[in-house]
Amino acid sequence: MRFNRTIISAALMLSLGAGIACNKPAAAPKVDEEAVKRAAAEEAARKAAEEARLKAEEARRQAALAAEAARKAEAEKAEAARKAEAEKLAAYRAAAEAALKDINFALDKSAIRDTDKPKLQIVADFLKAFPQAKVQLEGHCDERGTVEYNLALGDRRAHAAKSYLTSLGVVEDRLSTISYGKERPKVEGKNEQSWLINRRCEFKLQ
Amino acid sequence: MKRWILSLVIGFAPLLVAQVPNQEVVLSTSAGSKLGIAVPKPSVVGITEEQAGRELHETLLRDLEEAGPFAVLKERQLKSGDASNLKAWVEIGTDWLVTLKAGRPSAEGSDKVSRIVGDEVEITAQVMDVKSAKAVFSKKYRGKDAVLRRIAHSLADDLVARLTGEKGVAATRVVFIRQLSPLIKEVFQIDRDGSSPVQLTHHKSLTLSPTVALDGRLAYMTYKGGPPEIWGQTKPGGPFEKLFPAKGGPQGPCTTPVWSPNGKRLAFVQGDKRGNTDIVVLDVGTGRVRRLTDSNCINTEPTWNPAGTQIAFTSDREGTPQVYLMEEDGSNVRRLTVEGAYNGSASWSPTGSMIAYVSRFEGKFDLFVYKLGEGKSYQITTGVSSSESPDWSPDERRLVFSSGSLGGMQLYTTDLSGNTLRRLTEFSGCQSPKWTRTR
Repeated sequence: MRFNRTIISAALMLSLGAGIACNKPAAAPKVDEEAVKRAAAEEAARKAAEEARLKAEEARRQAALAAEAARKAEAEKAEAARKAEAEKLAAYRAAAEAALKDINFALDKSAIRDTDKPKLQIVADFLKAFPQAKVQLEGHCDERGTVEYNLALGDRRAHAAKSYLTSLGVVEDRLSTISYGKERPKVEGKNEQSWLINRRCEFKLQ
Repeated sequence: MKRWILSLVIGFAPLLVAQVPNQEVVLSTSAGSKLGIAVPKPSVVGITEEQAGRELHETLLRDLEEAGPFAVLKERQLKSGDASNLKAWVEIGTDWLVTLKAGRPSAEGSDKVSRIVGDEVEITAQVMDVKSAKAVFSKKYRGKDAVLRRIAHSLADDLVARLTGEKGVAATRVVFIRQLSPLIKEVFQIDRDGSSPVQLTHHKSLTLSPTVALDGRLAYMTYKGGPPEIWGQTKPGGPFEKLFPAKGGPQGPCTTPVWSPNGKRLAFVQGDKRGNTDIVVLDVGTGRVRRLTDSNCINTEPTWNPAGTQIAFTSDREGTPQVYLMEEDGSNVRRLTVEGAYNGSASWSPTGSMIAYVSRFEGKFDLFVYKLGEGKSYQITTGVSSSESPDWSPDERRLVFSSGSLGGMQLYTTDLSGNTLRRLTEFSGCQSPKWTRTR
C-alpha cells in the first residue's frame, strides 16, 4: 500500500518535473520566430490579395463607369440622330403635304388646265428639293363615264400630269402612274362640285 | 357532254323516264298570246309540304312567270270545282297542266323491300295539254334536298324548251363585282332569281371586270399586286392565277379582259407609256400576245362576236367615245354609233344579231340596242338614274345591267321592250354583271 503511494507520488513528481521542464525559457525562442514569420507572411499575402481585389474592383468600377458614360454618350448621339432624322422626315412629310395637292380636270378631258400648272410647278420644286422622293400619280374620274373607259381616262390623266412634270425637269423614273377610274371617288354627291373634285390626279409619296 | 358537266356542277342528274316521243315545238296558242300554264301544289311523300311549296313550287311558278312565253294561272283563280278537276282548269284558260310529285326515291333491294335513300329527293313532273287531253312532257329529276330550287329551275328551262324549242334561262347565274369596303371589291355570283350569292375571289383588293368563258372559266382584273393585272382560270374549276403580264415580260397596266367565244383567247386592254390604251389579244395556250389597235387614243371595252371573227370596242379616236367594229386581226375598223357624244360598254348578243351599249345624255347613261340587220339603234331604258354595263341573257331575251347612284349600284334585268324591269340584287355596290349558263 505504501509502495503504491510512493509510486504515485514519484509519478506525480515526474510529471510535474516534466511540466516544469517544458516551461524552461531555453527552448521557447525558436518556436516563436517561425510562427511569427509565418503569420507575417500570411498577413502580407492576405493584405496583398485584399489590395489586388480592391484594385480590381476599383478598375471594374472605373470600367463600368466609363462604359456607362460611353453608353450614355452613344444613346444621346443616337437620340439626337433619331431626332434629327424625325425632324427631317417631318419636314419632308410637311413639305410633301404642302406640295402634293390634287389637280383636277374638265369632264372627259385629260389636258392640264392652266389653273393647275402652278400646282405642278410646286410638285416639281418639291421633287428637286428632295432628290430621294418618288411619287405615284393616281388618275381618277367622276361617275359619269363607263367603268372601263374611265380606267383608260384615269390612266391618261396620270400620264398628262407625268408628262408635264418631266417637261419641268423631273426625271421620269421618279414618277409612276396608276389609274383607279371611277372606283375610288374622293367625295360622294351628284353635283358639279363633287364631280370636279373626283376628276383628279393625286400625288402619293412612294 | 354539256348536260354531263351541268349535272356535275349542280349536283343532280335528270332522269329521263317515259319521255314522250313527240318532242316537236308546241305552239298551241294563237300567235302573240301566251300559253296558259297551271301548276297545282305538288303531292309530297317523305319531305315536308312547306319545303316542297317554298323551294320547288314557288320557285317554279316564279321561273315560269319570268320565262316570257307562259301565262301562269293560280289555283285561287279557279271559278268552280276543285284543283283535281280538269274542266275547272280549262275554264280559266289553262293550256298546260303541270302535275308535280315530290318524294324520296326508293331503291328495290334483293329482298324487294323499298328503302329510302338518304336525303335524296325525286321530283316527277308530268304535263298534260288539257285541251287535247294528251301528255306533252314527262320527266324525273333527282338530287339532294339542297338542290330543290335548282331542280325547279331545270324543270322551268325544260318546259320553255318543250314549248319554244329553245332552253330557258331559269338555271343561269350572273357573275358580278361587289364592293365590300371603300378599297375592296371582289367577284361574286348569284342565281338568276337573286338567290344564293357566293363570293368567288378573296384578293382583299380592287378587283374588276369579270368575264366568263363558255366552259365556265372566270377571268378578271385585280390591283392585288399594285398595277392592274389579268387573273383567271386556265381550267374549269381550277385555281385563280395570274395570266398577264408574264414574269420578265413587258409590264404595264392590264384591264378589261374578255374571253373569246371558244375560250382560247383573251382580249384585254393594255396601257402604253404615253397614257394610250390598246386592245390586245392573248392566246392563253401559247402566251403569245397580239396588239390589235395602235393609235394615240383610248381603245377599250372589247366584245367578241359569237363567231370570234370580229370585235366591237370603244375608242375616242374621233374626239368622243364611240363604238367601233374591227376584224379579229385589227383590220377594217369602222364606226358603229353615230348619235350622241358618249357611247360605250358594247356587248355583242349571243346570236350575233345585236349589240347592246350605253349612251350618255345629261350625265346619265341609258341602255340601247343596235340591230345589225337594220343598222338602227333602239333605246331600252329611260332611267332617272344611270344604267350601265349591259350584258345579254343566254337566250337573248333580256339584258342584265347595273343602275343606281355611286356606291349604291344594284343589278337589274330588263326585256328588250324595257317594260319588265326586275331587280336582281338586294345589296348595294354591285357592278359589271355577266350572265352565264356555265357557272
